Amino acid sequence: MVDFLTYLVSGIALGSSFALIGSGFVIAFRVTQVVNLAQGSLAVIGGLVSYSMLRTGLPHGVAELLAVGVSAAVGLAVGIVALGRSGTDPLISLIITLGVSIFCSAAIILVWGQDPVSPPGLGGHAHLLGVSVERQRLLIVVVTLLTFAALSYFLGRTYLGKGLSACASNPRAARLVGIDVRKMGLAAFALGGALGGLAGVLIAPTSAVSFSSDLPLALNGFAAAIFGGLSSPLRTLAGGLLLGVVSQLAAGYLQGSFQTQVALAMMLVIMVARHRDFVAEEAR
Amino acid sequence: MPARPLALAGLTVLALTAPFLVPDLTFLVNMVLAAIIVTGLSLLMGYAGQASLGQGAFMAVGALTVAVLTTRVEAPPLLALVVAPVLAALFALVVGVPLLRLRGHYLAFGTLALLLIVTATMSAVDLFGGPYGIGGIPPFGVGDWVITSQRQYAYLALGCLALVLLVTRNVIHSRFGRGIRALAGSESAAESAGVAVWWSKLAVFALSAAYAGLAGAISVFFTPFVNPDSFPPLASFSYVVMAVIGGLGTLWGGVLGAVLVSTLLQVLNSISTLSSMPPTAAPVLQYAAYAIVLVATLLYLPRGLVPALEALPGKVRAKVSQVRGQVQA
Repeated sequence: MVDFLTYLVSGIALGSSFALIGSGFVIAFRVTQVVNLAQGSLAVIGGLVSYSMLRTGLPHGVAELLAVGVSAAVGLAVGIVALGRSGTDPLISLIITLGVSIFCSAAIILVWGQDPVSPPGLGGHAHLLGVSVERQRLLIVVVTLLTFAALSYFLGRTYLGKGLSACASNPRAARLVGIDVRKMGLAAFALGGALGGLAGVLIAPTSAVSFSSDLPLALNGFAAAIFGGLSSPLRTLAGGLLLGVVSQLAAGYLQGSFQTQVALAMMLVIMVARHRDFVAEEAR
Repeated sequence: MPARPLALAGLTVLALTAPFLVPDLTFLVNMVLAAIIVTGLSLLMGYAGQASLGQGAFMAVGALTVAVLTTRVEAPPLLALVVAPVLAALFALVVGVPLLRLRGHYLAFGTLALLLIVTATMSAVDLFGGPYGIGGIPPFGVGDWVITSQRQYAYLALGCLALVLLVTRNVIHSRFGRGIRALAGSESAAESAGVAVWWSKLAVFALSAAYAGLAGAISVFFTPFVNPDSFPPLASFSYVVMAVIGGLGTLWGGVLGAVLVSTLLQVLNSISTLSSMPPTAAPVLQYAAYAIVLVATLLYLPRGLVPALEALPGKVRAKVSQVRGQVQA
């Protein structure tokens, strides 16, 4: 039972970070129809920048916020390159973001080298339901829940957020009422970058990140986003949590190395099962 | 057009002399194998409009077929080389039934997931050598004749590339080829014109997998070992890069893309091993070059090099007549 609770709690923490990365995919895809393959790199950059900032002696909080800001700026840059020329097919934009993500790997190796690094986080353990949990993992869960609450308030209640939602549901109508769809697309990429960066900042203290962490992070985030049909942030949260718990249970009871495969298999099954919904949104 | 046979003859001479002109034969063999894979990928992406980020999965099937057949049951190498692309195509048919229901981004991620699941399966299953892979694969040969030099492998690879190009050319010019070309434009329009959309997509997917399986088979004879790390996702990404740069849906685009990108990476690799360079120079230069070439091509030549080159004579002629018109006026 203690084992089960341990896996459950660490699964929720893991799933929260998947959900944050996944929501970055969702925010950018809803508005632009582009899947940002650099989403994993944005998370890695967040983690690495927070590491460097903390090394320069900046206090906790400031360093992490700056790192999220850098990720948002890089996300914006990815958007500018991927959406830069009007009329670019979303599939071509996808391959452009793949190119940008490869470029990010080059930049990361240039600045931080090839070895994984891990910034200091919240130290120590807390006791919850009779299970000892790293406090950093609890922080991930709390910050993720707060972020999703803020995100749904932002998308539903603020001017910019409503603009993003308008572009997502009907770009032509949004343009008719005077919303600049292209600027909204760039804003969405920046926001997606910030969410990815936040995930990286939170994960890096518990598991070190390097240039090659981007692919697993992106795949797990995309798998979470698939639960929400690439359009619903809240269902992405639910998907991320489910994915995190199931893969921790699989790692715990079966074999540790199967964790990613479980996530991949779940993603494939859901994509194939729901392919009709996905086809409808891409019908031409 | 008289230019065509002339160009073809020139290319044939170039291909036949390349194993003597190129000093690094490992590089040459890998480049030709990439060209085989990318030709299939270009057909899949440009004609059927389906992106695959996981062609390495089918290379793995081809490589494992050869490794298992030659070392475990001691089958003749020629049989293994023929069976490898067939098994890769069958594997693609089986996984294609669920996977090809996906499109666009979903198919891209689905094929990437397939590659990662295949490599994970390789390291978990003893028949496939587990995490250490299978080594000691005998050299390729037919009967008593056995390949003894790298140069002969280069000719084997070039011969297979020629075969692949011939098959691809005939496919493109067939009724089936015109049908799949319609797919990339609009699936519903193709369907209403009588194209069997589902079977066409599956067939192209299987054909591209057969090419990848053939390349995987040759690479495992050449190397001569295979393990789960032989098929990194970055290699599969690079096939997409090559296909896009060369020009999707063109016969020669795959070859051109593979040659240009491989050569660029080789040049960067030799620059980065200069003594004055830091040890991280090689990955930094290679990643950056991939990225810049890919993004610049997509933004400025979205249809790739071969269509751009083919359009060039027409553009020059238009420019000349425009200038003439201005002179006369």
